[in-house]
Amino acid sequence: MSEEFEPKIVAFLCKWCSSAGSDLAGVSRMEYPPNVVPIQVMCSGSVSPLYIFSALNKGADGVLVSGCHPGDCHYIKGNMYARRRLALVKKLLEHVGLEPERFQMSWVSAAEGTKYTQIIKDLVKEIKLLGPQTKLRRNL
Amino acid sequence: MVKIESLREEAKNLLKEGKVKYIIGYESGPNGLLPKPIFIKKPEEVEKLIWDPTCVFNLTRFLADEKRRKAKEKQPDQRPVGVIAKGCDSRAIVILLQEKFINRNDVYILGVSCEKEGVLDERKLARKLKNRKPKKVEFGEKDNFIVTTEEGKIEIPAKELLADRCLECKANFPVIYDVLIGEKTQRDGEKPFKALEKIESLSQEEKWNFWKEELSKCIRCYACRSVCPMCYCDECVVDTINFAVTADTSAEEKAQKIKWIDKSPVSSENFVYHLVRAIHLAGRCVDCGECERACPLEIPLRLLNKKMEKEAKELFGYEVGMDPTQPSLVSSFKDEDPEDFIR
Repeated sequence: MSEEFEPKIVAFLCKWCSSAGSDLAGVSRMEYPPNVVPIQVMCSGSVSPLYIFSALNKGADGVLVSGCHPGDCHYIKGNMYARRRLALVKKLLEHVGLEPERFQMSWVSAAEGTKYTQIIKDLVKEIKLLGPQTKLRRNL
Repeated sequence: MVKIESLREEAKNLLKEGKVKYIIGYESGPNGLLPKPIFIKKPEEVEKLIWDPTCVFNLTRFLADEKRRKAKEKQPDQRPVGVIAKGCDSRAIVILLQEKFINRNDVYILGVSCEKEGVLDERKLARKLKNRKPKKVEFGEKDNFIVTTEEGKIEIPAKELLADRCLECKANFPVIYDVLIGEKTQRDGEKPFKALEKIESLSQEEKWNFWKEELSKCIRCYACRSVCPMCYCDECVVDTINFAVTADTSAEEKAQKIKWIDKSPVSSENFVYHLVRAIHLAGRCVDCGECERACPLEIPLRLLNKKMEKEAKELFGYEVGMDPTQPSLVSSFKDEDPEDFIR
């Protein structure tokens, strides 16, 4: 019997909004797939592109970066920098031939537990269709 | 036509008056074709300076070295350094100024306009000449290069020998300079970003196969990094020099140390290295083409950097290296930046 492929997704969640949003989803007992490995970062603007490449390199099937909505950043404009930088990362990953669905970005506020669960559900569904990510996975 | 005499004259005066510490320029190289960089300190040495289509190097790379050297000196010579800069090289200086890596009065720019021509691609020339060895390449009268081989002189249209980046050059004259030698004439080249067309038309899978084949060749010699005027970081993410393993280093310390990129030249690690380099050069790469030229395995690295330049232009309306007062691409933002990819 072959087991169904369960993707591993690394989610970089900003401490002030998205992480609190995922907490809300948890305490409200909302159901969502357990494929996500959340990593709390201080701000989506602090996510270096290297983190994303490295996550894919060390075996993630997908990466999600989530921050506060524009204008709501705890550090005023950290997410605005993130938006610009990660748009470039997304274009670059597409340019070298990685499926664009594997790297996603979202804005989730501390009150949006439902949105968070929905994003994770969609992401897991999309990545399940793509199968395991082997392109950037470390293969020594 | 750029007159070498006027360049030499200018350099001579600068050195005589003691306005500059030294001048970085090109001198004819040992094997006859490619020149080598020269650091001129005495006015009588200016006769060694040359200017021809083989002056491909981006000399602004030495400004980073100069900054480090100066930082170590107890009583540094505060005079600026003279540097000969083509259009692309001058854009590299613009980026260094933007990032406040150097100050405007640290450098005296002897701008050289490429005018109608540009610099040649050594590999294209070798292919053109087959087994004949070129000795000298000069600018011709009208859009051609005069190549001297052992068997005599041949005239070849410039378009056939020009480096790819010169064909797509957006400004073939220095955008910033203290003296300008030659004229600011816009050359009608090919469409910008033409090199990208082919790869952009491929499907995701084909793109992957293309890059996999190219990047698997990489032997991680880091020539692209060494030659890049923008790669001036003291510490690079691929080096582990900052992690000294001594007898006292515990197993835990070793385990905790993040190894971002493995040193082995395998495809996956090469990908991460080249992706990191591309993203670090986003909005900074001035398309001087040095990485591609220096690469011993002829990996088309320009396509990675060019893509980032194109996205910067299309997504954010950002022109690289034209204005020293402009903030750098990733340290600025606009409210109307696209966010259609964000959920």
